[in-house]
Amino acid sequence: MFLLVDYRSPINTHGHSLTTLVQMMFVSGETGEPSPETTTLIESIVQDQVQHMLRECTTLATRRGSKSIGTDDLFMLIRHDRAKISRLRHFLQWKDVRRSVKDSDDKGGDAGADVAAGDADLAAGVVGAGPAAPGDAGKKAKRAKVDLVWDVQSFFAENPPLMDDVEDEEEEEMNYATLQRLKNADERTKNMTREEYVHWSDCRQASFTYRKGKRFKEWAGFGLITDSKPSDDIIDILGFLTFEIVQTLTEEALRVKEAEDLYKKSTGGGAEANRLKRKRERGLFDPPEEAREPVQPGHVQEAYRRLQRGNMKSRAMLNFTKSVHRAALKLVSLLPEYGTMR
Amino acid sequence: MSLHPSSRDRLNHARPVSNALRLRTPNASMSDEAMSNGSNNNNPAEGLETAAEDDPRVARWRENYLRTEARITALLGGDQIYDGVDGEAARLADQPAVDAPAAHDARPTATPKKAARTIDEDDYGDDDDEEEEEEDDTRTSPLLAKSAPNGIPCAAIDAPSLRISSLSSKLGIDFIGTPSAEQPKSADDVRKKLQQDKEAAEAAAKRSFYTTFYTLESDRDAMLEQQRLDELDRQVETEMSGQSAATPAPGASAAPQQGTLSTTNLGASSLTLKHLIARIDAERDKVKASDTQLRSLISEVRKNRSKWANEDRVGQEELYESMEKVIMELKAGEHANPFLQRVNKREAPDYYNVIKQPMDIGTMMKKLKQLAYKSKKEFVDDLMLIWANCLKYNSASDHPLRKKALYMRKETEKLVPLIPDITVRDRAEVEAEERRMRNGDADADGADDSEDEEPIMASRGRKAPSKGGKGSSAARKAPPAGLESTPDQENKPTVPTLNHTVSNLKNEFLRADSEMEGSVNGFATPPPGTLTPIGPNGLLRGGAHGSQADVSEADGTGASVSGFPEEDADLDDLEYKTWKQVTKKDRATIAAERHRLFREDQLQPDEPAILRSRAGMRRWARHRKQAIEEGASGASTSLAEVKDGVQATTSQSLAEGIAGEEERQVPDYYDPVCTIPDLDERLHWVEDSQGHVIQQHEEYMRLLPSGQFTAPDSALAKKMESNIRQMQETRKICAKIGIVKQMQLQSQMYQNQFQKYDPQPFVEADIEPVVVSDDGPVMAPYVCRAALQRSVGKIFYHAGFEEFQPSALDAITDIAGDFFQKLVASFGLYRETPKMKSDVAVPDANGTPTHWVPRFTQEEAILHSLQVNGVDLETVETYVKDDVERLGTKLAGMHDRMRSYYAELLRPALDNAGADGSGAFNDGSEQFVGGDFAEDIGEDFFGFKELGLDKEFGVAFSVPLHLLQNRMHNAYQSQNTNNVTTTGALMEEPAKFEPVTVQNVTKQIGLMRTWFLTKLHDNSNQSLVEDDDLPPKQRFPKPRLPPTGKISSPRKRPLREQQQMARKKRKLDEEKDENGGNDQGSSANGNLMKGLGKPVGKLKLEMPQKENQNVAEPEKDDGSAVGMISPESILAA
Repeated sequence: MFLLVDYRSPINTHGHSLTTLVQMMFVSGETGEPSPETTTLIESIVQDQVQHMLRECTTLATRRGSKSIGTDDLFMLIRHDRAKISRLRHFLQWKDVRRSVKDSDDKGGDAGADVAAGDADLAAGVVGAGPAAPGDAGKKAKRAKVDLVWDVQSFFAENPPLMDDVEDEEEEEMNYATLQRLKNADERTKNMTREEYVHWSDCRQASFTYRKGKRFKEWAGFGLITDSKPSDDIIDILGFLTFEIVQTLTEEALRVKEAEDLYKKSTGGGAEANRLKRKRERGLFDPPEEAREPVQPGHVQEAYRRLQRGNMKSRAMLNFTKSVHRAALKLVSLLPEYGTMR
Repeated sequence: MSLHPSSRDRLNHARPVSNALRLRTPNASMSDEAMSNGSNNNNPAEGLETAAEDDPRVARWRENYLRTEARITALLGGDQIYDGVDGEAARLADQPAVDAPAAHDARPTATPKKAARTIDEDDYGDDDDEEEEEEDDTRTSPLLAKSAPNGIPCAAIDAPSLRISSLSSKLGIDFIGTPSAEQPKSADDVRKKLQQDKEAAEAAAKRSFYTTFYTLESDRDAMLEQQRLDELDRQVETEMSGQSAATPAPGASAAPQQGTLSTTNLGASSLTLKHLIARIDAERDKVKASDTQLRSLISEVRKNRSKWANEDRVGQEELYESMEKVIMELKAGEHANPFLQRVNKREAPDYYNVIKQPMDIGTMMKKLKQLAYKSKKEFVDDLMLIWANCLKYNSASDHPLRKKALYMRKETEKLVPLIPDITVRDRAEVEAEERRMRNGDADADGADDSEDEEPIMASRGRKAPSKGGKGSSAARKAPPAGLESTPDQENKPTVPTLNHTVSNLKNEFLRADSEMEGSVNGFATPPPGTLTPIGPNGLLRGGAHGSQADVSEADGTGASVSGFPEEDADLDDLEYKTWKQVTKKDRATIAAERHRLFREDQLQPDEPAILRSRAGMRRWARHRKQAIEEGASGASTSLAEVKDGVQATTSQSLAEGIAGEEERQVPDYYDPVCTIPDLDERLHWVEDSQGHVIQQHEEYMRLLPSGQFTAPDSALAKKMESNIRQMQETRKICAKIGIVKQMQLQSQMYQNQFQKYDPQPFVEADIEPVVVSDDGPVMAPYVCRAALQRSVGKIFYHAGFEEFQPSALDAITDIAGDFFQKLVASFGLYRETPKMKSDVAVPDANGTPTHWVPRFTQEEAILHSLQVNGVDLETVETYVKDDVERLGTKLAGMHDRMRSYYAELLRPALDNAGADGSGAFNDGSEQFVGGDFAEDIGEDFFGFKELGLDKEFGVAFSVPLHLLQNRMHNAYQSQNTNNVTTTGALMEEPAKFEPVTVQNVTKQIGLMRTWFLTKLHDNSNQSLVEDDDLPPKQRFPKPRLPPTGKISSPRKRPLREQQQMARKKRKLDEEKDENGGNDQGSSANGNLMKGLGKPVGKLKLEMPQKENQNVAEPEKDDGSAVGMISPESILAA
């Protein structure tokens, strides 16, 4: 264990926070019941990552000359992950929509509640699932475009209003990413029974931030790392990113485990496991193979190592020098080789 | 004469072949030579008088000789000096061969007649005819036949001839060198031959200069030896100078008797004057001058008289010259050291007990200087004595000195033939003899004319050979006994010659003092008869010619032929030895020169430096050229070519040597200061015919092709450039929007407040035309960096930065440069990975199949190096797709947005203008006047274009933007008075009111007076200023008159006052209760302000009408419209 479990952390102190984590892992593909060690490890990794993000954001904000961190800083951190960026933008757009609808629906109408439900979904991280719900109400409301700071409009001094009929190319990209996610989810739920699906959809609702914003803030180190009072957006984005981290980590750990299992199977596995397996053929009453053991902390560690592995780009400028590359802590994100999208 | 037929008999057998082979084969040459001996004996006059040069034939003979004597030819590279004599000899040699087949059977006795012929030319003519006939037959015979039957026919004939044929090569050589007819010259030629051998050896050594590097280790020895030699020379010199007084002058007074001029000792140069002398001799009676006079005359005329020359000592010059040469040669030899000086008694106490007759080279030199040698024999005896002494004293067989002595003896034997067999005699004696001869001999029938030339030979003192020579050679015929039994034996003069040659060759080892003595003896006996042509006839016929010639020639060849194989045995050493020998003196000199500088183991600053000399440089260049030529001729070239090359080079060097430079026999690395560095051809100093220097470099100059430092015209670059252009266009609109917005906000404008934003398109300037002198890339780091910087700047701009800090640009440029360096370095690494062996042969660049293929293909290398530097193709593709192509579409979209935004800004009225836009005119619609949007929508609003006015005036019709905006009107009204006054209905400006001052305030009406007074008081009694004359900021806004003519709003305060007022009001609000009076006023002001707050909005709509009046005019008057176009008007995009 390279990370001591911080028992002050809000999630850990409350049982259901760990449950959130387990739910997220389940959504990410872990079917078994992970041990507390595993979840604690994952949690500490995630916490570390979130705090790292906050630190970076603060640095960026300071460099910008701003005291408080903004969404742009967060965008900047994940700028290389285009899919994530586009999903975030999508999320923020819809959030904006919800807010405006809420404002306009102060007088009446239940559109707000509808959107709120969508928002919850979004905040849980499964962004693609959200927008479908609000449906027409959101569509009608004029969506504020969430622009990236480095996008084209930043080139020019004037920011002309959006033209109505402008087809946003990025929308398609966002949709593509969303569809990809939905497709994956669909694959997973295809063979689920009704109960299983209910469980699954319950798990999808899991969120670090939804109605736990305050605890999350504490956990992430707001107030310690950065003084500023974070906006709602930032908390939501962080929640989303946290979910992403958990998911990526879990997926990678599962991949590690899979590879390990394969290796064990091909070589006969470890000494004792080998003997056991050799001893008896698979019997009729043996437990089904699907009931596999959950991800172990070792798998998570290996996954984390893999995700921290430096790439060539980071050390390109050190070629032909004798300097040793010291990689900074990396944000856990999809490894390029597994990425369906860059 | 009787011999002649017999010789021909012998040759008859061989004739068919020898004829066929005649001119070209060694065999033929041999037999020809053999015959020539005979025939020459028959008609010596013929041989003697043939002065005509017959070079073609010489050339042929030389060819023969060269073809057969590969080895010798190589060594004899330098027989360049063939004079007429040789030609003659060859000619003579030819002649009998021609005669023989044709006529000798038929007229054996006819030959004497021929010999007696006085006119040789006739004889030659005949011979030539015959020869030509023969040649018709023979020359058609294939060349191949010549070499093959060479030995066979001879063998068929008889043993001797076979043997002879085996020797033929030698004879062939000799043949050229020794004109058998001319005895004296034959000796000369032998010497020449030896000289040539030596030269050849030198040439060989010199050639090795280019191929072998000899270490300098032996230089010191060489130097020391040379020093000893010099010491010896000096010693001899001093001793000589002491003795010289005692030495009697050998010269005696010339006899008054008239002799032949040619008997004068004219030395070597007599050769050149030969014909003159011959002529003079022939016409002697007609010449009135005495002999002495003539002699002295000619002596003066001719050049190169050596120090040995002496009028009264016949033969001395030549003899001594050659003797000196020989002794110098021996002295310089590497083994000569122990023999240089007289044996010291202290070193060898018993030496003089053993050796009764000590001798050493030093003593010999002394004797030479003292002219103590009378003949070759004496000299040779002395030489041999040295070696004999040594061998005698050091009798132990393994004594090192013995080896040296033996070696020296061998050398001596080689060199001795160089010395002409001349006995020095007093002129008086010679002349006396001459006279005796003249008187005694009467039968000068056929030889009369030959007499003309004969004396020349006599004069050279080499005529002397006699029976003695024959006798000796005949006597030593013993070894080749078989020869004597052959029928050829009857041909006396011939056989001995041949036998002698054979014996010489065969019994090289036997040839020792005895032989030398024999021959020397033979020569040494000076038969007086030689001087007369008639007398010597018999003698000559007796074999004197032949034998002497043969002895010498045999010796020469014997030495040259046998000497080399001998040395071949220790070939490894040979080359080095030759080299050492040849270069010894020069090496010693150079070493000594160097040594001078470092004497006593320290640098001698006062010694002259070793400097580069002109001659040295020339020599160096010549050697280099020579080496290149030789290298070019290559090993594969035929012998003839080699010969030519050698000849050419040697003659060249000879010529240059004559030109006054001393040729040094050392490799160039001995003279490092004189080496000339490789100069580029283009840097050579070449002058044209007028003596102007030709600027060669111009030919090599070339203009650097343009485009080296600009971005290549690729699709990507084009896309990026179009993006950049798009951005510029959008920025233009942006700037206009900004101006419009600014004008809407700002109450006041300055004339130059808004700079027109008109970015220029980016053009990549290439470098100025640059002239370079070589191929290859231009190494200009600064230019390259600047080019990279420009590209980086473009990328910056493309990424959206309109401006950037130079430091940022620099930093990125440096990083990019660093990165590219690493990229290229890793690419180089991948490219240069050692090749690996493949199973299938792959043709390489030259097409030859090779199994070694590069480890990485070009593509792999590129991909690897990209990967290792953190670039993958996907990233690159993404960049192109997203950051270039998609950016283009985004930019286009943005441009459209900007345009529409701009248009919207300009015409807010259009929004509520109704369906047909007619509603836009309802509110005065001054925006329509600004042609900007009219242009935007592509309408010819004013019809200017229709009228063609836009072209006529060359301007775009657009109304100044500020006129369109009512807010602006205020600010611009005063500034644009010119416009207004010129365009509006003008009146004389009324006289200005007199400013109200304290003085003239009384002139005002009473009602106003108090008001004015308070004003003045406020103004601290300064004169009051009219509102219109106030500075613009203090000016009151002018009330605008609506169409109704009513002033609806109260008067506004000037701007500053308003601000002050606002400030005051805030203050007053806080202390409202304190100051009631002020409160009252300020509240009034506040009301005023409140009133003003709205009118601004209202006036916005009101003002246009007024403006309209001004602007509407252009519709009536085009000229005024033109006048309204102000320079600061901004064109809408």
